[in-house]
Amino acid sequence: MAEMVQKESGGAILNHWALAISCILLMITGFAFLFHLEWIGSVFGGFNTMKTVHNWVGVIFSVSLVFTMFQYLGDSLKYDADDAQWFKVAGGYLSHKVKVPPMGKHNPGQKLYYLGIALFGLLIALSGFGIWLMKENTTIMLLSHLVHNVAFVFFCIMVPVHIYLSTLANPGTLPIMLSGKVPLALAKKRYPKWVKAMGKM
Amino acid sequence: MANNTKNRKAILVTPELCIGCRACQVSCKSWNQLPGIKTHNSGTYQNPPDLSNTAFNLINFIEMPSQENPARWLFVSRRCMHCDDAGCMKICPAAGAIYRTPEGAVAFDSDKCVACKLCVNACPFDVPRYNDQGKMSKCHLCFDRIGSGMEPACTKTCPTGALKYGDRDELVKTAKVDGFSTIYGENDLGGLGAVYAFKEAPKLYGMKENPVIPSSVIFWHKYLKPLSWIGLGGVVAAAAIHYLAIGPHKDEEV
Amino acid sequence: MTNHWIDLRNADVILAMGSNPASNHPVSMKWVMKCKEKGGKLISVDPRFTQTSAKADLYAPLRSGTDIAFLGGMINYIIEKNLYFKEYVVNYTNAAFLINPDFRGPADLDGLFSGYDAKTRKYDKATWSYQKDENGIALKDPTLQDPNCVFQLLKKQYTRYTLDKVSSITGTPKDKLVAVYELYGSTGKPDRVGTECYAMGWTQHTVGTQNIRTMAIIQLLLGNVGMAGGGVNAMRGESNVQGSTDQGILFHILTGYNPTPNAALVDLATYIEKTTPTTKEPGGVNWWSNRPKYITSYLKAIYGEAATKENDFGYAWLPKLEVGQNCSWLNLFDAMLKGQFEGFFAWGQNPACSGANSNKTRAALGKLKWMVNVNLFDNETGSFWRGPGMNPAEIQTEVFMLPCVSSVEKEGSISNSGRLAQWRYKAVEPIGQARADAEILNDLHFAVKELYKKEGGAYPDPIVNLTWDYGEKDAAGKVKHVDVHKVAKEINGYYTADVYDTKVDPPKLIGKKGDLVTSFALLQADGSTSCGNWIYCNSYILKDGKEVNMMARRGKEDPTGLGLYPNWAWTWPVNRRVIYNRASVDLNGNPWDPKRPLLKWNATDKKWEGDIVDGGPPPVAVSGKLPFIMKPDGVASIFGPGLAEGPFPEHYEALECPLEENSMSKQRINPTIKIFGGESDAFFSCDLRYPYVASTYRVSEHWQTGVKTRHCPWLLEMQPQNFCEMSIELGKELGIKNGDMVKVSSARGEVQAVAMVTERFKPFNLANQTVHQIGLTWHFGWQFPEDGSGFDSANMLTPNVGDANTMIPESKAFMVNVRKA
Ligand code: HEM
Ligand code: HEM
Ligand code: SF4
Ligand code: SF4
Ligand code: SF4
Ligand code: SF4
Repeated sequence: MAEMVQKESGGAILNHWALAISCILLMITGFAFLFHLEWIGSVFGGFNTMKTVHNWVGVIFSVSLVFTMFQYLGDSLKYDADDAQWFKVAGGYLSHKVKVPPMGKHNPGQKLYYLGIALFGLLIALSGFGIWLMKENTTIMLLSHLVHNVAFVFFCIMVPVHIYLSTLANPGTLPIMLSGKVPLALAKKRYPKWVKAMGKM
Repeated sequence: MANNTKNRKAILVTPELCIGCRACQVSCKSWNQLPGIKTHNSGTYQNPPDLSNTAFNLINFIEMPSQENPARWLFVSRRCMHCDDAGCMKICPAAGAIYRTPEGAVAFDSDKCVACKLCVNACPFDVPRYNDQGKMSKCHLCFDRIGSGMEPACTKTCPTGALKYGDRDELVKTAKVDGFSTIYGENDLGGLGAVYAFKEAPKLYGMKENPVIPSSVIFWHKYLKPLSWIGLGGVVAAAAIHYLAIGPHKDEEV
Repeated sequence: MTNHWIDLRNADVILAMGSNPASNHPVSMKWVMKCKEKGGKLISVDPRFTQTSAKADLYAPLRSGTDIAFLGGMINYIIEKNLYFKEYVVNYTNAAFLINPDFRGPADLDGLFSGYDAKTRKYDKATWSYQKDENGIALKDPTLQDPNCVFQLLKKQYTRYTLDKVSSITGTPKDKLVAVYELYGSTGKPDRVGTECYAMGWTQHTVGTQNIRTMAIIQLLLGNVGMAGGGVNAMRGESNVQGSTDQGILFHILTGYNPTPNAALVDLATYIEKTTPTTKEPGGVNWWSNRPKYITSYLKAIYGEAATKENDFGYAWLPKLEVGQNCSWLNLFDAMLKGQFEGFFAWGQNPACSGANSNKTRAALGKLKWMVNVNLFDNETGSFWRGPGMNPAEIQTEVFMLPCVSSVEKEGSISNSGRLAQWRYKAVEPIGQARADAEILNDLHFAVKELYKKEGGAYPDPIVNLTWDYGEKDAAGKVKHVDVHKVAKEINGYYTADVYDTKVDPPKLIGKKGDLVTSFALLQADGSTSCGNWIYCNSYILKDGKEVNMMARRGKEDPTGLGLYPNWAWTWPVNRRVIYNRASVDLNGNPWDPKRPLLKWNATDKKWEGDIVDGGPPPVAVSGKLPFIMKPDGVASIFGPGLAEGPFPEHYEALECPLEENSMSKQRINPTIKIFGGESDAFFSCDLRYPYVASTYRVSEHWQTGVKTRHCPWLLEMQPQNFCEMSIELGKELGIKNGDMVKVSSARGEVQAVAMVTERFKPFNLANQTVHQIGLTWHFGWQFPEDGSGFDSANMLTPNVGDANTMIPESKAFMVNVRKA
């Protein structure tokens, strides 16, 4: 067995999946609301239970979102010259020929992705609570409704990208979120600065 | 919407003929078996003060100054307008909670309503109301009566013809022939299912001048909604193309 | 109503004065609005700008209690401007009749008529009579010039009602007076018709009857009586009040408006002689000359086999009034307070709230030994002993509650204001222990009869001889259940023997014993017919061998296009929809207004076409018979000596009024009213403590004292509480804001209400003072809603003084104070 390094803690993994599953559930039920998809509704035994599910899963999502802040926020706010170069080569996703600069624990795409999730997650959560709990105020209701849906559009676009990149586009990434570990060899290639920082390189 | 059809039904309200007897309020309660509301007199005949989840229609008593007389006293019937372009229907997230009947009425199904209370905010006329469980209710044009060939309870009861029910085109035509210069709701919001015949400016009768669905709702409906599935679909497609055309990262390349 | 509800749509001008149909008779407004849609005009005259005023083409305010001044001014205007319909006035009214030269009127006697006795507060009417020739026929001057003719006397009295004078009394701006007079006066043309709708706004005054008389005079001057779209129309306050007066519920009449016998009318012959009018006028049909047939058939209906020619058909068994005795409401309760009653059936009523001066009424109830409350719900009457200010420990009255069913829980007929008797089916089964009134009466009847049979009693005959053939009997001879059809048929009448037409030879059989009589024209004075109520004869007939309930008919045909709907239910008399309809045609039988041909004489076929003709005779030019068949002279009475206070109405102030004097004359109040002098009968005029005029009225949502409607949460939701309407000006003066709680008090009591401070009420500017008026509803009572949130009845305030003829209390004009609660 190749040597493994710990990239994600157990808690982080747990939280990621809480966030991911709740988010996907919310999106599915959200879609059902938006387009009156009765077949989805019937999976939940009608729109009424689906609404309850959506609201309470929303709570899980929100709590989980708060936890991610401790895990990713700091890191996601730091960028260096390599990160700038990373953008120039589009992360190497458009061509396998270009040279991708050395990366830390997360590449700037991931960092930005996180910032997006944090921001729009906050918006969708706040607006969601607005719709849920501030029913007597028309301005809040209408604003929340708008914001909720603007954020939803973001989720519709970003979440599939993230899933694709963490699975098919980058084989070997998924196991990180399953075991938290990554083979040292692979880590050296992908996250050289991080490995260096850990003193393993 | 597909409801400007020949057989669209409507209520024609003619405040000029209304005598403020409020038989319409009672008949609605009676037909719908709505409980009485504990009210108090607040210095006006109007009661309950506003529409409620157990008061689907209401006579507004409007007192205003007059040259000729001590006052002018107008009686204006209020209820759901059964908009062709109905804000409530647009915004409602629950399938089947608000629906259009073949006659063009905007009816509701409490069982399907998820009590989100979004609809009143999208209604240009501040109509939907909610019960303790948050379930919406409002005038449904007596969908159950008109669906079996009867007329709504309120129009049936109205002694003077201030409320009339019939084919929408027909009602609008006769109101014009009868000399009513303003047919409120003829074209607003795709044409209302409760049209008003006025000889004076609708504003006088407390009617909103240009009723519109809130622009955010329109924006959301027109752009955001499609964008969410176009976005999702687009991204999934792009990922597929990427996978096939460029392919995943190979660790060897790094 | 002389006419009927639908007929309102046929008018050119509708005067709603003394009524607020939009609130109180909303269904009538259907026809009023139809009339307006066709170009008709609605005038509303009311102290307050009402829902009706809101729909009116012309609104004029007037101070409560000044209707005669207002209308007197109209008479003056009509005569002065020559707006009257001369041909009609000369031929169909007594305008041309010459009056006793000794007759004097208010113009001569400062507000009084000749013959007044201040001690008895009554008139000797000797001078209120016609000049007659040697044959007993009244002298007439068709030119209307003779100073003693009715027309000239009328003119003399009402020239005093100038615009200035009227305006200074009523508080109506002069331009409004002229506008109303002008518009209503326009109906004096043959092809224009005006109708008047009145209700309690006219009757509930000490001059109530005369209010209506004044309008009757106007309608006659303008030729509006008998016409489609015309008439003087009483909008009844209850759905079946017409039925109740028709069926003799009032103390002074038996069924069909036959007078109640009194002690001086010792036998049937005397009764007939003294109560049957006679006339020498050749044009008089004098329908009341048929009284003998009607009273005899009535006696046969109630006493059946027991009524024989030998025993005067049981006339002696009828209860008799003392001569001059008045048993109307106010007197009954006065007597009750004085302890003159042991027991009382409060049947379908709520006197503790409905009677004027509730405190007196409630105190009177406490003087009873027992009371039976027959009602849908317990009410302020049944529970009076635990009401406000009562000490249950001191009250000995034993109260029995008999729950009865509502009108939709039983079958029967209802007679509306248009005299239309409509049969109703039973819609739902009664709930709980509730029983139909007829069933309760049935038990009561047999129980009392049984007692009389067993114990004898002082005078058992009137009871033991009563027929009671209303259904299948049990072994003991008691009717098990009342079959209302049998009651209806008894009212219509039967042949009690075979009746033959003896004018032909051989005599032709008209009716077989046991068959229903088809028309009151066939009733007999010899006991061979029975009829519970002659005006209802024809309501349940025998047709082609089958008994037909005419009241249950539902035909929707309208052959005249005037909305008579002759096949819908049934109208008394004999299905005539407009009474005095022979006055709608000229002497030759052609309609005055060809656009509204209620009747037309077909000269070729020699028959009338249209409505059922009044009385039957051909046109005046052919038969010589005049149209007003119920009047002995055949003409309508502009000069009407029948009433207590004079043959022409004169303006008097209300008993309680804000004015020191009546600017019309020295006679401030109606000189003939009865004034109770008891401790509880207080009244104050021009008293600083009670400076504001008040009126009580109703709203659409509630019915009478509200017992039926207050228990309906839907109605209570719309009108939950007693309210007091007042002007912005008065509100300012008293520091009362809209929605504030106020206390309103009068010499007799106090009641709480919510203030409704509104532009719709305006102060009245009179000659040299400003008068404020307020108004309250009288639908509420302390007993329900149980939390007292509705407040008590406005009748806590009203005076127990009545009209001089009818004793209807003056609840439309009295004095109060208002303060913030
Ligand atoms: C089923 C689908 C998903 C898979 C397979 C997946 C997989 C992963 C993997 C492998 C990582 C770690 C990447 C790394 O450390 O380099 C990651 C990170 C992350 N994922 Fe997911 N994920 C999924 C769905 C979601 C969803 C729906 C969300 C929600 C909003 C989400 C939010 C995040 C966040 C915030 C991170 C933090 C790291 C970053 O900035 O990328 N994931 N995910
Ligand atoms: C990633 C997270 C979420 C997504 C994608 C999402 C999506 C949606 C969508 C599409 C709708 C229906 C569209 C509409 O009519 O507005 C909706 C409705 C709603 N969402 Fe969310 N939502 C998310 C999170 C939340 C959260 C965190 C809450 C809050 C607790 C929430 C509460 C609501 C509420 C109350 C509604 C209104 C409809 C209803 O009550 O069922 N949502 N959401
Ligand atoms: S009036 Fe309001 S509730 Fe009625 S159909 Fe229109 S938007 Fe819906
Ligand atoms: S409250 Fe009910 S009807 Fe209104 S939008 Fe929500 S689900 Fe639809
Ligand atoms: S149409 Fe029916 S539901 Fe609507 S107000 Fe009239 S009676 Fe009520
Ligand atoms: S029933 Fe007709 S007339 Fe009466 S208040 Fe209602 S709309 Fe007006």
